[in-house]
Amino acid sequence: MASVSELYDVTWEEMRDKLRKWREENYRNSEQIVDVGEELINEHASKLGDDIWIIYEQVMIAALDCSRDDLALSCLQELKRQFPDSHRVKRLAGMRLEALERYEDASKLYDSILQDDPTNTAARKRKIAILKAQGKSTEAIRELNEYLEQFVGDLEAWHELSELYINEHDYAKAAFCLEELMMTNPHNHLYCEQYAEVKYTQGGLENLELSRKYFAQALKLNNRNMRALFGLYMSASHIAASPKVSAKVKKDNMKYAAWAATQINRAYQLAGRGTKEAKCSVKAVEEMLESMQITMS
Amino acid sequence: MAEPELLLDSNIRLWVVLPIVFITFLVGVIRHYVSILLQSDKKLTLEQVSDSQVLIRSRILRENGKYIPKQSFLMRKFYFNNQEDGFFKKTKRKVVPPSPMTDPTMLTDMMKGNVTNVLPMILIGGWINWTFSGFVTTKVPFPLTLRFKPMLQQGIELLSLDASWLVSASWYFLNVFGLRSMYSLILGQDNGADQSRIMQEQMSGAAMAMPADTNKAFKAEWEALELTDHQWALENVEEELMSKDLDLDGMFSSELLTGIF
Repeated sequence: MASVSELYDVTWEEMRDKLRKWREENYRNSEQIVDVGEELINEHASKLGDDIWIIYEQVMIAALDCSRDDLALSCLQELKRQFPDSHRVKRLAGMRLEALERYEDASKLYDSILQDDPTNTAARKRKIAILKAQGKSTEAIRELNEYLEQFVGDLEAWHELSELYINEHDYAKAAFCLEELMMTNPHNHLYCEQYAEVKYTQGGLENLELSRKYFAQALKLNNRNMRALFGLYMSASHIAASPKVSAKVKKDNMKYAAWAATQINRAYQLAGRGTKEAKCSVKAVEEMLESMQITMS
Repeated sequence: MAEPELLLDSNIRLWVVLPIVFITFLVGVIRHYVSILLQSDKKLTLEQVSDSQVLIRSRILRENGKYIPKQSFLMRKFYFNNQEDGFFKKTKRKVVPPSPMTDPTMLTDMMKGNVTNVLPMILIGGWINWTFSGFVTTKVPFPLTLRFKPMLQQGIELLSLDASWLVSASWYFLNVFGLRSMYSLILGQDNGADQSRIMQEQMSGAAMAMPADTNKAFKAEWEALELTDHQWALENVEEELMSKDLDLDGMFSSELLTGIF
């Protein structure tokens, strides 16, 4: 089997830099990480210096994702040898136990970390992940709420909680969590868009208006967010089609919907330019837009 | 006004001025590494971490509250500031001002600070004064009054000597403060060799480290939050958005990104 460096003709420095980029931007392409990382560890360990420990950690987590328990165990043993008393390494050992579905052992390990250091957030979050993995979503939600009472600033946890609530169809509480995220990252168009989608799902005239506004905000932050554009079109036409609105609101919303439709058409034209099927796809878009008109029952 | 210029032996420059600069610099670097070795781990309690995060959340609510709907903003403001059971009204933290005598960690910290910073300065200053005594080392380019003479001309008992002339000890002290920027260049920002920063910290550190501040911080946040109003940033977002076409430049590119690299 050809190695990564042969396949792509890259040096070990480029591989190491790629791993760093994946680490810093929180990618989850575990198979690629395992391929690149395994080769780095096996062939170029001496050249990496102190970088190797963080690469061990990164590769170990990716190996757990890909079910490569052999690789995960060897990485873990190297880390244990170098950092015998580290909480961070203990957490990795716990993650391996979780991957083997030995949840009680993992839970005991995390409890021991917490006894030593009550402020350790990683161990608490792993315990909640165990509950989630076992399918106990109500307990997971309860534990996560307690966690968030202590650590109000943990954005990752707020996002996780909003996801859990959406799965339970508790949209009001999910909206609350997303509001926290929007407040702390006002320039992130994805949070605005997700919030708007939750509001849209909740339904009701007020929520539809809010969702339209937040879809527009997401578009303002990032002009290329197609999902927000479609969302804007849907919410505006939904409000316009509702029987309870005043004439002015109806007119405004139809104007918004028409603008959104033109932008969608423009985008599809740009996408199809240069291809022969351009005319067909534009027509398909128009038909799709017509069929998306919601009729109130 | 012509003053009689003193001509100093150029050996002084070679064997006094430069060695003092080197000595000061090296001692500073050594101090930096020693302070890293002697650093004690600061253990934070759960309550402190939690409180600091709550304060951050309240501040963000004040600053960015305009991005969430009015109802949500009011809900959160009510949670914090409500008369009977708002968070800032209700929580009182136990106040234990850590005086240096009772709190052991602060005592050792103070001792370490003294040992690594003040002691070497005194020792080396004294040694330089003893070694390089009996001559003037350098001259400051601006005239000084006679009051400075006993300070800057320690070992020399000449009444007629201009106060601008300095002995090696004063050159040493000038170096200690002057090399600060060199340290940040070479050792990075937060370095342990920065004498004046440490002295500043010692003066303000006593005020900062007290947890009594948590209650005061809560009160300050409560007041600030009472004053904030909700100005929804999304009032006219649709009009602003639809004033011009969307910028879809570069959204579709004909080349496909394949593979890892």
